[in-house]
Amino acid sequence: MFVYFLRRFISLIPMVLVLSFLIYLGLELTPGDAVSFMVPPDQIANLKPEDLEKMRDSLGLNDPFFIRYLNWLSGVLQGDFGYSLASGVAIKDIVLDRLPATLELSIAALIISSLLGVLFGTLSALYRGSITDNFFTLFGMIGVSVPEFIFGLIALVIFALNLEWLPVGQRLLPGYNSYWDHMPHLIMPAGVLALMMTAGVMRYARSSMLDSLNKEFIRTARSKGIPEWRVNFVHGLRVALIPIAVLIGFRLPMLIGGTVIIEQVFQWPGIGELFVYNVRSQNYPLVMMIAFFSVIAVLLASFLIDLVTAILDPRIKLE
Amino acid sequence: MKNNNEIILSVKDLKTYIYVNNRCNRAVDGVSFDVHKGKTLGIVGESGCGKSITASSIMQLLPKLSRIESGEIIYYKENKAIRIDKLERNGKSMRDLRGADISMIFQDPMTALNPVYSIGSQIKENLIYHTSMDKISMNEKTIEMLKIMGIPLPHQRAEEYPHQFSGGMRQRAMIAMAMACNPKILIADEPTTALDVTIQAQIFELMLNLKKEHQTAIILITHDMGVIAELADEVAVMYMGNIVEKGSVSEVLRKPAHPYTKALLESIPILGKGKKQKIEPIRGSTPDPYQRPEGCQFLPRCNYSSEKCVENPSYHHITKTQFVRCWKSEEVLSYV
Repeated sequence: MFVYFLRRFISLIPMVLVLSFLIYLGLELTPGDAVSFMVPPDQIANLKPEDLEKMRDSLGLNDPFFIRYLNWLSGVLQGDFGYSLASGVAIKDIVLDRLPATLELSIAALIISSLLGVLFGTLSALYRGSITDNFFTLFGMIGVSVPEFIFGLIALVIFALNLEWLPVGQRLLPGYNSYWDHMPHLIMPAGVLALMMTAGVMRYARSSMLDSLNKEFIRTARSKGIPEWRVNFVHGLRVALIPIAVLIGFRLPMLIGGTVIIEQVFQWPGIGELFVYNVRSQNYPLVMMIAFFSVIAVLLASFLIDLVTAILDPRIKLE
Repeated sequence: MKNNNEIILSVKDLKTYIYVNNRCNRAVDGVSFDVHKGKTLGIVGESGCGKSITASSIMQLLPKLSRIESGEIIYYKENKAIRIDKLERNGKSMRDLRGADISMIFQDPMTALNPVYSIGSQIKENLIYHTSMDKISMNEKTIEMLKIMGIPLPHQRAEEYPHQFSGGMRQRAMIAMAMACNPKILIADEPTTALDVTIQAQIFELMLNLKKEHQTAIILITHDMGVIAELADEVAVMYMGNIVEKGSVSEVLRKPAHPYTKALLESIPILGKGKKQKIEPIRGSTPDPYQRPEGCQFLPRCNYSSEKCVENPSYHHITKTQFVRCWKSEEVLSYV
């Protein structure tokens, strides 16, 4: 089993290379280059074309595309992610500065939504057709179909403006000494994000659980005279969990790229906000790195899904 | 001798109805039979005649939208009569009977076992809830059960999962599971329908051995007359939720007294009789359960029908053990 996963892990490397190449190619195709953003527009008019050309030469921008890609890749592999065109700050520092905020928000939302989603979905399936089920179904429909920023704004109006229980936004303010000081800031964005995600997990958990409860082996389990809770949870839910785990696994990449809108609404200083801002200002080395991290997150998530489903489902062959 | 005829389960005028879309399907409509210790009762009939629902009623494993409307199901446990129909569906006392006193094996062993637990642990689950064994003896018992069922390398096989078993092996594992607590009654709902013929024969042999060794009564549900001839002591023929004829196997198969039984037997090709044998299909098709014919349910398809048949016939005995629900049974019997 260990060997299988090692092999599976190694097979991720060529995929990372191919995707990094595609990302680099994609940015190559966008108009403009580094020099046109480094030099302020009012100065470009005063500079001679030779000088601009000289700058391009010195930055290596005139090298063939493939050479530039390899230069960039070797830098990345050595931990040199390049510098932001706008501020000249190392991208590594910018990302490391923003990453904790995003991870904090998205991990909180992921955990809350997975637990509540499975719980509500299972209850909904067990009490199918009851008031509880109808309530959860209604909640699920609203959660899945209404865009998250609307919930974000509603939550802001209610909890921040009218009730004044929670701060309007932002993460850290001067004077916060301990980690727990900023917790009130986390509640709303994480709550709204979790609400949306719970709805999806719940609907999926409900149908997966219903599917599992209709299987023959449930009747077999019941025919053994074991208690209902054991029939439902040990037999039913255990089997239903396999597809649910896959769904939750596919949400892992959200840890990096999926919180864009919520971060905007709550001015949360995370990767998503950074990404949107830098796409607008065409700060391409930074955009490229964020895209690259997202790609790695997706690949790692799919690896983790394989790992978890192999543990949950003995039918999956490991050879 | 008297001990051999001990009644262990008695079903009296059982009516189980299924409610779908505000309509009522009288799936089991007044079925009565006794099961004797160590004997096999075969229940035959076509799809949808209520044989599986009868079995599910005994186990209280009915689908959600159905219920036992009236009648009695009495299980005799050490001279104590337990009214199964009065027990709460998934209540403690019903659960105590299931798997311990009355077990069930199902048609399709491919889907009847939980794919994510090992065979051994699924057998053990029975022991955990019905015995007070410790872990070591439970493991031993599990392996012993697999061994009795003729599964090679039982130590290793107990650790394996259902998908690593072949169809026949899974059915053996199912029987091992059902027999783990030495039940008094084993209900087999078409246990070999999903298996091929050679495996069928092996499974039958296994069931015969169990019957002999443990004095287990078997309720065998099937639509295969061959299976009945091979395994059963008594047979009940069901049609549209009713037992139309019941008797010992030799009586019913040799001298069927109900037109339906007779028609069923005539519709089976006999191997070795050559191309010239006449196979008579039963004409027409099974009536819609929501629009039942009046009187005898077989009336529209019957070759012996008369005006009297509009009235539902009652049971009458042909011999001491064989009885039939038909006005014209004399005629059917004489027409051999």
